[in-house]
Amino acid sequence: MTGKPRPDLNDAATAPYWEAAARHELVLPRCNSCGLVFFPPRERCPGCWGGELSWQPMSGSGTLWTFTEVHVPFYDDTWAEDVPYVVAVVELDEGPRLLAGIVEPDMASLAIGDRVEVTFEDRPEGVTLPVFRVVE
Amino acid sequence: MSVLDGIAIVGVAETPIGKLPGRSAISLQAEAGVAAVAAAGLAKGDIDGVFSFSGYSQAMMLHAARVAEHLGLRPELAVVTDVGGPGTHHAALLNVAAAIDAGMCTTALCTYGENGISIRRSGRGRAPGTLTGGEDFEAPYGQIAMISGYALFAQRHMHLHGTTSEQLGAVAVASRYHASLNDNAHKREPITLADHQASPMISSPLRRLDCSLISDAGGAFVVTSIERARSLGVPYARVLGYGAAATHHIPSQAPDLHELGGPVAAARAFERAGLTVADADAVYIHDACTFSVVAGVEALGLCVDGEGGPYAESGALALGSECPVNLHGGMLSHGHAGGVFHLLDAVRQLQGTAGSRQVEGAEVVVAHGNGGVFSTFSTMVLGRGP
Repeated sequence: MTGKPRPDLNDAATAPYWEAAARHELVLPRCNSCGLVFFPPRERCPGCWGGELSWQPMSGSGTLWTFTEVHVPFYDDTWAEDVPYVVAVVELDEGPRLLAGIVEPDMASLAIGDRVEVTFEDRPEGVTLPVFRVVE
Repeated sequence: MSVLDGIAIVGVAETPIGKLPGRSAISLQAEAGVAAVAAAGLAKGDIDGVFSFSGYSQAMMLHAARVAEHLGLRPELAVVTDVGGPGTHHAALLNVAAAIDAGMCTTALCTYGENGISIRRSGRGRAPGTLTGGEDFEAPYGQIAMISGYALFAQRHMHLHGTTSEQLGAVAVASRYHASLNDNAHKREPITLADHQASPMISSPLRRLDCSLISDAGGAFVVTSIERARSLGVPYARVLGYGAAATHHIPSQAPDLHELGGPVAAARAFERAGLTVADADAVYIHDACTFSVVAGVEALGLCVDGEGGPYAESGALALGSECPVNLHGGMLSHGHAGGVFHLLDAVRQLQGTAGSRQVEGAEVVVAHGNGGVFSTFSTMVLGRGP
């Protein structure tokens, strides 16, 4: 057991995303030139290659684009206590899609198209992950 | 006119496939390489180019230089391609063709293979999720395996098109049937749809029998000029059309199903070949999971978009149909060590050496599929030479 994978918190292009998550805020970069909001964060806009970016707070609302329930711990026992767990792709209302977990999923009813909202998971390994919960 | 018009695949070979304790990936590639050169009627001294990929079980820098060193070769070019899936081997053909055209090589050895089983037993396997590109934004959520990435798209296909687990099961059953005809397949015992439905869920909606195997295996092919191939007097395959597409890297950044690169790559390849899928006598689809075949038959135009499930269920994949799919058994049953075996078996069909799974008189065979999680697509339309 080597602990769960954690993002590189020292990457200059992505650190503000993780710092906001630690404050329980979801922020994404927005291009000052063309207005594109994009994910994952990077130093230039993938739309127009503009280098002037701002961090924009997201509404935190979105739609379940797809998901899978993982039933086996892959490779080693890192995820053995978590299975089964849900990996989802969420489409934020602002447009970008991101991959995340779904907390307390009701597998009998979980469906693509479900409305979801962001919440935050403070991990013992010293990182906070944006995750989502289904809203009724 | 393209440099690809000038090349011929003259020899193919694969090692035993399965659990091969104590075998390094490089030793499997070398074994396949030596056998492929012999299959082409050539000798070590004829090889003056090496093109390869380490695979991921023992990922390595400058891998082609290692292959050359291992086999005692000092070629002008030792080149790695890593496009993902079949694109890796197809792009090697493009590189060989360019090298031959540039006078930098006359006859190239291309080697692939992994030791995905044995590397784990050795305790030297790579850390999970370290090569996927999702280290920061996907692995922390437990998205660390390719198969759960594929599951995301299988789930969405089911949602959009009504595809069923039973339809995916039809792909698994057909693959195993073909593997039962192949003496070198990793898994040969026939399976039924009930076996598929009873196999445990791995990453919903994909069950164990929806997942490709992990195998220790090596595969290799030898490429030379059409002129040289003719003088050798061996049957060979030639390139009629090659097309590709790259849309994203990590699963969350994929476009929606209908915008993935598969149909684009296929259309480019068929247009360059001046052919359509109706001209294909067999196709080989990179089957990381059963759903990959559903997506593949749609992308190639064997059925309309969204109807890959019913197409698989109709029996259209099996030997004896108009355009059988994955006659060697695919990665679902023949073996998975990077995916080169689809190309090798496509060449065998065109050489007329595929034995009990031979499509009689095969003239056009297509190899197609994706790397990553539908990240890159590659389609290679091959024809029978001379």
